[in-house]
Amino acid sequence: MESAARNISFKEKANKALGIVPEDAIISKSYLFVSFIALLVGGVLGLLQGLNRAGLLELPLWFNYYQVLTAHGILLILVFTAFFTIGYFYAVLSHTLDGLLPKVRKMAWIGFGLKIFGFVLAVIPIIMNEASVMFTFYPPLAAHPVFYIGLVFIVVGVWMCAFGSFIQVANWRKRNKGEHVPILSYFATGVFVLLFFGSVPVAIEVFMIIPWALGWVETINVMLSRTLFWAFGHTLVNIWYLTAISAWYVVVPKVIGGRRFSDTLTRLVIIMLVVLNIPGGFHHQIVDPGITESVKFLHVFMSLAIGFPSLMTAYAMFSVFEKTAKKKGGKGVFAWFKKLPWGDVRFLAPMIAMIAFIPGGAGGIAQSTNQLNQVAHNTMWVVGHFHLTLGTTAVLTFFGISYWLVPFISKRVLTPAINKLGVIQTIFWTVGMIFMAGAMHWVGLLGSPRRTSYTTYSDHATALGWDPYLFFLAIGGTLLMIGIIIQVYAVIHLMFFAPKGETEFPIAEVEENATKTPYWTERWGVIIVIMLLVIAMGYVIPLVEMIVNAPPGSPPYSPW
Amino acid sequence: MNQFIFGFLLLIFLALPPVAYLLESIMIVHMHMQMPLLVIAGFLMAIFFQNKFPQFFENWNHNGIPGILLFSIIMIYWMIPRAMDDALTFQTVELFKYISLPFLAGVPLRDSWQKISSKMKNAVIMIFTMIFFAMGWLYIKWPEQLCNNYLIIEQVTLGWGFLTMGVCMTIYLVYNGLVDPTAYERE
Repeated sequence: MESAARNISFKEKANKALGIVPEDAIISKSYLFVSFIALLVGGVLGLLQGLNRAGLLELPLWFNYYQVLTAHGILLILVFTAFFTIGYFYAVLSHTLDGLLPKVRKMAWIGFGLKIFGFVLAVIPIIMNEASVMFTFYPPLAAHPVFYIGLVFIVVGVWMCAFGSFIQVANWRKRNKGEHVPILSYFATGVFVLLFFGSVPVAIEVFMIIPWALGWVETINVMLSRTLFWAFGHTLVNIWYLTAISAWYVVVPKVIGGRRFSDTLTRLVIIMLVVLNIPGGFHHQIVDPGITESVKFLHVFMSLAIGFPSLMTAYAMFSVFEKTAKKKGGKGVFAWFKKLPWGDVRFLAPMIAMIAFIPGGAGGIAQSTNQLNQVAHNTMWVVGHFHLTLGTTAVLTFFGISYWLVPFISKRVLTPAINKLGVIQTIFWTVGMIFMAGAMHWVGLLGSPRRTSYTTYSDHATALGWDPYLFFLAIGGTLLMIGIIIQVYAVIHLMFFAPKGETEFPIAEVEENATKTPYWTERWGVIIVIMLLVIAMGYVIPLVEMIVNAPPGSPPYSPW
Repeated sequence: MNQFIFGFLLLIFLALPPVAYLLESIMIVHMHMQMPLLVIAGFLMAIFFQNKFPQFFENWNHNGIPGILLFSIIMIYWMIPRAMDDALTFQTVELFKYISLPFLAGVPLRDSWQKISSKMKNAVIMIFTMIFFAMGWLYIKWPEQLCNNYLIIEQVTLGWGFLTMGVCMTIYLVYNGLVDPTAYERE
């Protein structure tokens, strides 16, 4: 025990003295740079849409609403989040597992190259207006084949990074027999397991689509493609979520000067999210035909099961906050809130992210209900929902992470001025999102459809009634654009211009009297087999039905 | 004791008519969800019997082999298509299902699993993997209804359920064979 304590302190000292390995820092820096540039471009496109929806801006024919929408989705949902997640977790792997192995470093770069190449391939047809298929890209809408080939490269690039992380973790475990993988690297393992297994179905889908888009086969099974897409789409959602909660569980307690919640519970939450996640995709298909009601009903369990670890997380977080604040002299039922460091952006941003998840999660549960889904499906409500969950809960946490991660990998420091800017940014983001996501939710309930360019439906009274809300949407979008500009400025400043110095990688310790984590949590082989069983449980029934009783397939449609 | 209560409550829950009706209305859910859940209920309740009758288990299952044999016989019996038809047609067979799976499969499984060697465990998994592949092939390929109560499409679905579970168990066996835990874990 004593020697273990000495080892930790030695490692801490070494990390403090040397900081991140320069070769590893460049990897994370490149990933984060691409990520935030994608945020900037994607944000501008988002603003254009917001202004269009409010009837304030008519987009030209050569750059229409659906093109902008597709690019906005691909840039923010795929590029921004994937590059951030990989950049962040590769910094984690380097920091907590004694630096990346040369082989793993090479894999990260190959993955980077493949993803960028794939992304360029995917963007060309979008710009040429040959791929306005939205970020969900499932049939019967058909894009130019090059778009899908680009997606293949992106997926292979992601796999490269996933396997790099597995090699790194396995190597560390061999060198540290019988020890638990450090908690943040454990999160990384969970995320990369999900990234790999979650992208297998979408890879299958894309390989079904390519011959169809090329005209080699005439028709495609639409239901099957949608199902395979959502097996990936919903997993992606929980990859963002898992990335965000890694910071909540481990980083935020350190920032507020406390200790983290039970190590066992944290690992259990990760395992549960990994195991239960992939079949959750069905709640995106509640109104799809071709899935019997009893199967949909059984799937409600699968979807709501994912809510359970989230409730555990909410409890753990507020317990840590209260404990830490009360140690600092906080009193009362709620008065201790004042003791939390609200002026520190590294706390404020993830904290607001967590608070946003309360209505975000509740809205999600509402949508998983069959009847309520029929009201909200394909309306602006859904767009509001994921701007609250992804756009606020995940993204604000990513922003909060950037204020210490970027200086850490750049060997610079977070100055009080940039911290203040970060606080202002967070306020802009929060207010903007309240306006935008709030308006989207409300106007969705009034029937305004998503993914539809501005129209008054020949001045129909109902459609005209949406206008005031859509106006709020545009106001919110404008505030968010200001937020993005501040955020990207802060990241660029922290990466290249902030004063040189050492920044700590904040990792909270467990409580002193913490119970020992059981070793079975390290047996990922078994966890993955259980995950595969759960996937089989979720998918065998509907997929067999969709394939064996398939209706005549659909030819490709390109209505632009 | 907690485990016993959870197991017991699970058994009661599964016996509720609407739950039983829903689970039995889909062939694959009947065989691959309701039945394993019944086994799990017994597995959880086993602790009570182990504490109450230690001598019984010592006398009749001291090396774990009789228990695992009993478990296998019960499991294989419930894989026979006719058995499911019987359970849906005769109340007595249904009752037998609710008794045999928890108490004659779940309880001995728990008692035996701790006693048998890891080689034996792998052998059991291997045998079930082979049976699952064979059953999968049977249910997918057979051109007629094997159960009066379920349509061909449900039969095919069940076949794929067997195959995917067989694949999962194969992956586990390969993982078990390839990965040496001593390289990662302290003795």
